[in-house]
Amino acid sequence: MAKTVDTRQSPRKVAGETRRIKIIRTLARKKWVHNVAGLVIKRMEKRGATEYRIAAIRAFADDLRSAYRKEKPCIYTSAFVPNELVYGLGGVPFLPEAASGFAAAFGFARESLSASESLWYPPDLCSFHRAGVGASVIGLAPQPDAVVVSSQLCDGGKRSLYQVSKAFDCPFYILDVPYTESPESLDRLARQIEEVAEGLEREVPGLSGDHMDEAIANSNSARSHYLDLCDLRRYIPSPWRGREALNYVVMFLWSWGSPWLTRFYKALKEHSESIIQQGEYPVKNERFRLAWSNLRPYYTTRLFDYLEDELGASIAFEEFSYMYWEPLDANDPYLSLAKKIMSNPGWGPIERRLEVIGKLVDEFSIDGVVQFAQWGCRQYNGAVSILSDYLRRKGIPFLSLAGDGVDERNSGEAQSLTRLGAFLELIESRDIRSSR
Amino acid sequence: MRTGSYVMGIDVGSSVTKGVLLSDGNIVSTFMLPTGTELSITAEECIEGLLKDRGLTKKDVLYTVSTGYGRTQVKEADKTVTEITCHSRGAKALASGARLIIDIGGQDSKVIRLDEDGMVADFVMNDKCAAGTGRFLEVMAERLGVSLFDFGRMWKTAKRPANISSTCTVFAESEVISLLSAGIALDTIIRGLCDAVAERLLGMIHRVGLVPRVVMTGGVSKNEGVRLSLEKKLALKVTVPEMSQFAGAYGAAIIANESAVQR
Repeated sequence: MAKTVDTRQSPRKVAGETRRIKIIRTLARKKWVHNVAGLVIKRMEKRGATEYRIAAIRAFADDLRSAYRKEKPCIYTSAFVPNELVYGLGGVPFLPEAASGFAAAFGFARESLSASESLWYPPDLCSFHRAGVGASVIGLAPQPDAVVVSSQLCDGGKRSLYQVSKAFDCPFYILDVPYTESPESLDRLARQIEEVAEGLEREVPGLSGDHMDEAIANSNSARSHYLDLCDLRRYIPSPWRGREALNYVVMFLWSWGSPWLTRFYKALKEHSESIIQQGEYPVKNERFRLAWSNLRPYYTTRLFDYLEDELGASIAFEEFSYMYWEPLDANDPYLSLAKKIMSNPGWGPIERRLEVIGKLVDEFSIDGVVQFAQWGCRQYNGAVSILSDYLRRKGIPFLSLAGDGVDERNSGEAQSLTRLGAFLELIESRDIRSSR
Repeated sequence: MRTGSYVMGIDVGSSVTKGVLLSDGNIVSTFMLPTGTELSITAEECIEGLLKDRGLTKKDVLYTVSTGYGRTQVKEADKTVTEITCHSRGAKALASGARLIIDIGGQDSKVIRLDEDGMVADFVMNDKCAAGTGRFLEVMAERLGVSLFDFGRMWKTAKRPANISSTCTVFAESEVISLLSAGIALDTIIRGLCDAVAERLLGMIHRVGLVPRVVMTGGVSKNEGVRLSLEKKLALKVTVPEMSQFAGAYGAAIIANESAVQR
């Protein structure tokens, strides 16, 4: 019955299509622009740019070139869809939520947000989703050939991307992730992943499962280097800047299955080893070690200048960077991807998430936990009181830092600086007292 | 070279800048003035005002701590400390046994819980809008043509509070206009506004945990109407120390005194 309802989106003019957006969307689709970008990256390499940064740039440059130039099918995925599936089918993934962070960092978020408001998105919804939809409809993002979403965690992701699939009239698939893990629920999810793969092969020209073994191998190899990197991040003082780690959370969400991710984590691991050997730590005089939950504001670095450079506080680890899955099995890719999805500690009972945060606090010698309370983020903000009580019982100070990762109109920088400063003063006063 | 025995605390708030001068730990001078737009000049004027009162110069001041939103704009400061820490130190000194501090300033409100030793155990601040702050009350007072100092008197004459459902300054203003046009008495509206601010604070208070003795500081602490609404909703006494507006500056001066001793 429901299938007879016409859900197509009528073409409409939206806000945010400014002159510069029109220029960028035209340039993003030109071959010569991508060729020039390739030359610039090579030049950076020759001039000795840090290897892990080059690997990260290459990873995105390759994917974006393929997507904008339509060299490979572009599959929009929501956060927590295992992108090994997309790389394994020979496509390139595009995560509008993660791309919103890029838009904010490069100053294009306002147009994307305006466009989403034209589509009736109210400003109190998560800006990562709003900007993602907006960037798609104004053509700042590449055009999707299909959309795959997961029902896990972000409710706004599947709804906003459904709208995108209607705007571009392309196939839409949803992975309806079971809430609790059991052999039956894993089988059910594995069957769904297989059906999505078959549907994509059938409906999107250019996709086939020939690359699945390669994508699984890439993912496992990247995972192995990543675990070594996590071990190095336990070192005191911290060998890496938290602000950068929070930037590269985008790769953690996006690039599993890409060959570049292995190179990225390997290079980053080697970089961290050399930092520790040389003793030249990025945060001078580390006085505090923080764990960071959820994402960060991407349009400013001021909070991190203040934390890391002025107050000597390292973000030693992020909740989003926690490696939660076992190596994948190329002989049974769909079941192992199902297991990966179901292992996410943010999904299911809250106890799973608390257990991981408690583990991070202990393993990374954490003095305090900051949760970035993203405006409109239901699943994280809804659990603040439970998390706060849990950490209080563990004797770990907790700060819920209200703000917005993409929409700077929803943030007050002066207030955020005061909260962070006061939080560190609170930790310091406890340390002074306990040393007496 | 500074050789004196005085220390200073300067609190550059969003509306008002306050200063406290201590000698041997005792308050010897206080000064306040509107913050205006040039924060560093205002801070300078505040320092001059403090010192002039006692016939002193900057050389007589051994240590200065600044706090408040404009804390980094105080050129004379040896150290900056956030207003959370300074308000807690100041309030504790002004009202012994303080465990919960409600500070409502011009553009924000804070609730700070202290532990048994008087150290900050937890704190929350209001979110980005002006709801429940001094600015909200100023806009409403202006619209009603009533002085903020009369809020307490009118609160007491009101038989009941008007229902103000929004603390968004713009929406509440239109609600107030509707209430006036419906012929609702002025004192009823004012009590409703005080209740709206108190309601807004209740959520913050229970987030950190309600522990007596509750002390109110900041500019809005001088608004008796808000204090009465809070007392009614919390069902306990809220202490407003005589120098409640200076709590942040006093706390900064206390920290300056300790830092000067350590130097």
